[in-house]
Amino acid sequence: MNYGRELLKGNTDSLLLCLINSQPTYGYQIVKELEKRSNGYFHFKEGTLYPALHRLEKDKLIRSKWQKLPNGQERRYYYITEKGQQVLAKKLATWQDFSAAVRAIIQPETT
Amino acid sequence: MANRISHYLDSFKTCLKIDSAVRDSVTQELYTHLEDKSQELREGGLSEEEADKVATEALGPPELIAQQIYEVHAQGGWQEALFAALPHLLIALLFASYYWQNVICLSIVLVATISVAIYGWHLGKPVWLFPWLGYYLLPVIITGILLIYLSQGWGWVAALIYIPLALFVLIYIVKQTAERDWLYALLMLAPLPVVFGWLLSLGTPNEFLTNNLWMGRLQTKVPWIVVSFIALAIASAAFIRLKQRWCKTTVLLTPTATILAAVSLACRGNIDFWGWLILISSLFAFATPAWMQARS
Repeated sequence: MNYGRELLKGNTDSLLLCLINSQPTYGYQIVKELEKRSNGYFHFKEGTLYPALHRLEKDKLIRSKWQKLPNGQERRYYYITEKGQQVLAKKLATWQDFSAAVRAIIQPETT
Repeated sequence: MANRISHYLDSFKTCLKIDSAVRDSVTQELYTHLEDKSQELREGGLSEEEADKVATEALGPPELIAQQIYEVHAQGGWQEALFAALPHLLIALLFASYYWQNVICLSIVLVATISVAIYGWHLGKPVWLFPWLGYYLLPVIITGILLIYLSQGWGWVAALIYIPLALFVLIYIVKQTAERDWLYALLMLAPLPVVFGWLLSLGTPNEFLTNNLWMGRLQTKVPWIVVSFIALAIASAAFIRLKQRWCKTTVLLTPTATILAAVSLACRGNIDFWGWLILISSLFAFATPAWMQARS
């Protein structure tokens, strides 16, 4: 089992919501942004992105809209909803508590 | 559109059995993704063919994405599940309360049923409408059966005209439904074997029109009729809530086949040759969509 992959899988929703919360964006841009912001650590399996986005949309955490780019091409942009922001806030709080607890165990303060 | 990308998207669309508008939108979304990726790879120095190959491989097998997208869209809400179960529950309620003998109650149910059909049609034929449609097919079939049994002289001419027309209408409706998804045809046809099973267990069509013996038989079977329609209601609701296609197929096939087998075995003395033929035909019609699903 790839531990990193399992961690990514367990936190996909949080990462997607976080990115979409930063700015409305579309599928391919999400993949690029995840790689860029994580300095290549998160290499998202592209095929799993769209089912995840559609699931979030079905749960009304995000909504989508086709929009024209300046070059005339259309892309499906995703926007976070109010419910999505609330869920994201809860997930981030849980994650911060969790990571602080893990850090406290694996890197105990030496006073 | 490049050949490889086009082929990839064709495979994806073939595997994705959801509403056509949603399917087209998702396909277009994947197309834009593949175009962006391919364009970037070409700018990085790859040939068009290589870029398309890498882009499609990075996205993964189209069948897998189609299955995952299907699982997101195929699962209906509890409200949809209730609407899908409602026609079976109404039938169960009619029998449980003995209101099926009351013309006013029957009329109210009929008006409500027609209103639901119009409402569902107006909404663009959502999945929950298909169990209702199954019941609308019943009068068409029952009229045909009665014509076969009761025709004498010129009546046979009417039967010969009516039956091909009715078959044409039935096949057309089932085909239209199946083109959207074989599973919807299965959901629509699920009540037919159960209804025919119970009807034939009560007597032959001749007996229905010439005497009231069937009424006595019906009274003794009411609790089991109610149970069988509640089982159908639960199966239809589960069909809406489940995600995987094989689960949906199993959840509909199991109770329907079990009810039909139980009714047929318990009442085999009352069923004549034509009755068995009708039962086997209805079971065959019901199982065909499942068989087509298993093949695809």
